[in-house]
Formats: sequence, structure tokens, C-alpha cells
Amino acid sequence: MPSHAGTPLIEARGLTRVYHRPRTSLTKPGHDVLALREVSLTVHRGERYGIVGESGSGKSTLLRLLCGLDRATSGSILFDGREITGLPERRLRFLRENLQIVFQDPMSSLDPRMRVRDLVAEPLVALGLPVGGRVAELLEAVGLSAEAAERYPHQFSGGQRQRIAIARALAPRPQVLVADEPVSALDVSVRGQILNLLADLVDELGLTLVFVSHDLSVVRHVCETVAVMSAGEIVENGPVDDVWAAPAHPYTRALLEAVPTLEGLF
Amino acid sequence: MLKVDGLTVRADSVELVHDVSFAIGPGERVGLIGESGSGKSLTALSLMGLLPEGVAASGMARLGDRDLVGVPESRIKELRGRKMSMVFQEPMTALNPLMRVGAQVAEVMTLHGKPRHEARARAVELLERVRLPEPAQIARAYPHQLSGGQRQRVMLAIALANEPGLLICDEPTTALDVTVQKQMLELIAEVAPALLFITHDLAVVASVCERVLVMYGGRVVESGPIREVFTRPRHRYTEGLLAASKLTPRGTRLPAISGSVPPAGRFPGGCVFRNRCPQATPACETAPELTGDAHAFACWHPAD
Repeated sequence: MPSHAGTPLIEARGLTRVYHRPRTSLTKPGHDVLALREVSLTVHRGERYGIVGESGSGKSTLLRLLCGLDRATSGSILFDGREITGLPERRLRFLRENLQIVFQDPMSSLDPRMRVRDLVAEPLVALGLPVGGRVAELLEAVGLSAEAAERYPHQFSGGQRQRIAIARALAPRPQVLVADEPVSALDVSVRGQILNLLADLVDELGLTLVFVSHDLSVVRHVCETVAVMSAGEIVENGPVDDVWAAPAHPYTRALLEAVPTLEGLF
Repeated sequence: MLKVDGLTVRADSVELVHDVSFAIGPGERVGLIGESGSGKSLTALSLMGLLPEGVAASGMARLGDRDLVGVPESRIKELRGRKMSMVFQEPMTALNPLMRVGAQVAEVMTLHGKPRHEARARAVELLERVRLPEPAQIARAYPHQLSGGQRQRVMLAIALANEPGLLICDEPTTALDVTVQKQMLELIAEVAPALLFITHDLAVVASVCERVLVMYGGRVVESGPIREVFTRPRHRYTEGLLAASKLTPRGTRLPAISGSVPPAGRFPGGCVFRNRCPQATPACETAPELTGDAHAFACWHPAD
């Protein structure tokens, strides 16, 4: 496995993000919400890194920071050795080329008025990269037919739409794929198709995967390493099999116990 | 308690639910599982008389000695919220954001004839019964001041207010975090009179129900005691669904059902699953009947 042998690709140190709530009273200032406190993590090249947590745990905030979509209140993020915190958008091109995201709900992340061809080509156009025959190549890689290019998102099922979102993310040949709950909105019968596809693509293209989920059992199937988040902090991290077999933090234990499973029920 | 026979739901010429039959005894907890688009929510809505305009149910459904299908709204209205009630998936849209939650719990009782002051007092008792902390304070709160899990408990209190004989829950925990889901499922199992529990999550249904109906393409394709159906599925769809629900170790292929659920009205004739089924043969062009007593299935090539 290439995981820990690889060099650090994403290094976050002491990330803190405070959101200021608007005031609700004329006399008192609005209060602050500490969404992320002193979070540090390292993702190695070629690693499959899972982030698990419930709503409000700060996993989405962390993800937004790692993707350069939000600014940390304090702390630093090195991507491939280069600082990304505090950089203006025009200087984030290297990040946009090398890190792409697949969102949870392919219904709202794909523009309903754009044809699949344009959706998949858009990241290339935005970065000024040549499109050429890349769209057909990408559609084939995610298991869609070439005719799909001429159609609109609403003409596809949820699983197929997630394939389109993956093709779009892979367009600029990124090194890192960030998947935010990519199968939570899908039916179980197609969940396996999408997870298999992601695993294949990560292998074939030598990608680094950051996979966010509320479901530790899905993370265990996909990732080697996991960070468990609660109340804005990473409460436990390490090899997923160790965390699964012997959770050290009470919150991880509660999370594991709460997940309903079919195994061992009968 | 509840008896459904030959329930069919149509929108114009498209048949959305076809010939669904089942019964729920007093105190029994029955699960209705299937993927999105399988017709499980429509089945529940037709029992509650809540089908959207342009969608109509036919066939027979009876709660005790009262008919639920083909009767005027005025008759259903007497039963809904009193003899049977329903908890929906999204508590934020089901609750009125402008009304205190205590008043919303009381409303369902005053609508069915309870004096206002009695209903107010009983509302607080109900909020306590669904294990909300400090029920008297919660009764004065607005929905946005509560968490998702608390809101869903309020929904359950409303559903239980008139001591209904049948509780229908439609994906009541899908929008909740797993740790909150666990508490909610335990509560539902404890307080439900007779229960029809709709979900797409097989592990959830297994933790709550005793019997299960598997729906696909608007039909019940398999039904029986949950232990038997889940350990020895006979219909190929149930088999595929169970395989797809289990996560195999890392580095192995996950089982999945090929293709995807077709949109309403585009299911194949004959067996509705045959275009995705690995075992389909020309025999499947004829629709199989649901056969068997305790454990029934509709498949020409059942698994052993």
C-alpha cells in the first residue's frame, strides 16, 4: 500500500475557524461560533483519508478550508508544500488544478440547464486547459455512453448523475479527489456501483482521496486512515481498522454502537 | 387492525402501485422497504387519504371496520390523527414554524373534540412521554429552537396524541444523525401501537420490525417474518438489496444491483425487476404471483 510511505500532500496545522453570528439584540453583540478548533491532519500522497462526524461536528468547515473555499481564522494548510491559507483566488490555480470535489447531492451540484458535455468540460474551460476529446474519454472512464454528452442532468438517475459529477471532477487531471458524502443521497442498490467506481479510479489514476462521510462503515470500506470529528475537533485518528476494532475515544464508541448493521443481527 | 387488499394507485394512465395486499394486527410492527420510486410512500399516503391531486387509489383498505379507500374526505378526516396517524421524514417542513410546539400538539386533540385546557395539559404530558427534557419549557418553544431529533419527537407526540390504533412512520430517522436515530428508533418501538414503518434502510427496519414487506416497481415482491426474509431471501431483488447493504472489506468489489430504478411507468411488463435481474429468462415476461403464506414471494427463479 502506498499510504504512509508517501510524502505528505496536505498538511493542516492548528486550523481554527470562528463564525460570527449576526447580532440578535440592539444592545449586545452577536455571539461567535467556534466551528473548528486547532485541527491538524496530514494526508499523504496516494492515501485514502476518511473524515467521519455527525452534523455540526465541523467536517464540512474543515473540508471547505482544505479546498480553499473558505479562510481559516488561524492555522495553516500546506498543499504539496505550498501555503494556501490567505491566498487570493487568482493565486490558487495550482490548487484548483490539483484538487477537485464531488459533492453529496448531484441534483443540486450540476447546473440543470447545462448539457453533460458542457458540465464535464467546464473545469477545463475555467482553467484555460484544452478540452479536445477529453469529455468522451471521461464519460467512458465513469461508465457512461458517449451519447450522454448531449443530454441534461434531469435525464439521468441519481447514480448516473453522481458519475457525471465524478467525470467533471476528474477533468483537469487532479492529484486529489475530495468526495463529500458522495453516496449518502443514493439508493443502496447503486451505492456499491459508485464506491467501486471511485476505488477503481483512485487506483488507476493514482489519486489521493479525501472521503467525508457520517458512516464509519462506509469509510472503513473505502479508506485506510480515518479522522473522527466531534464538536469542531478531531477526537481520534489513525488506521481505520484499528479505530474500528478498538475505538479509543468515547464518542467513536458511541458512533460505532449507534450505526445499525445487518451483521450479527440474526 | 389494518387490512389492505388489492390496493392500486394510479396517476392518469400510469399505475404507480399495483395490487398491494397486507394486514397488520394489533401491536404488530411491520416494515415496508424499497428504494426511492418503489411506491412505498404512495402506499402510506393512500391509507392516510393524503394522495396528491390527480393521483387516485382503488381497491380495499380497512382500519378496524372503517373503509379508507374510495370514501369521501369527510370520513377520512375523522380517522386521520385520531385512529391512525403518521410521522413524516422532514420534521422542519411538517411543523408550523409560527406556532409554539405545545400548541401544535394540542391542536390535533382540539380538532378531534377535546376541550382546549385539557388538550394543553395533555400536550405537556405527551412531550414528556416522548422523553423531551423539561417538557413544559419545550411546549413554549418554536420549532426552530429545537434540534432535528427534538423536532421529530414533537412529531411523534402529535401522532400519539389521540391514542391512535395505527402509527405510520415514513423514513422518520433518515434526516437524523446516527446517534439520535438510535434513540428515536428505540422510542418508536416502545410507544407504537400497531406500526407501519417505511424505510430504505434494511438495518433500520431489522432493528424495529417483526415482519417486512419488500416493494419494487409498485408491487410487493416479497413478504414475511424479518428474520426469515433477511437470512433466506427468495426474490432476486431482496437478495440483491441485502447483498448491496453489506459492506465487504476494503479492496474487494462491493456487490451492487446493475442499472438503476426506472422512472414511474417505465418498469418492464411481467416481472418488474427482470431488466435488472441476473437470473431473468423469457419466463419472466409473465408477471409472477405473490405466493406463499407466512413467507411469500413473487419470482419465477427464486433463490434457495
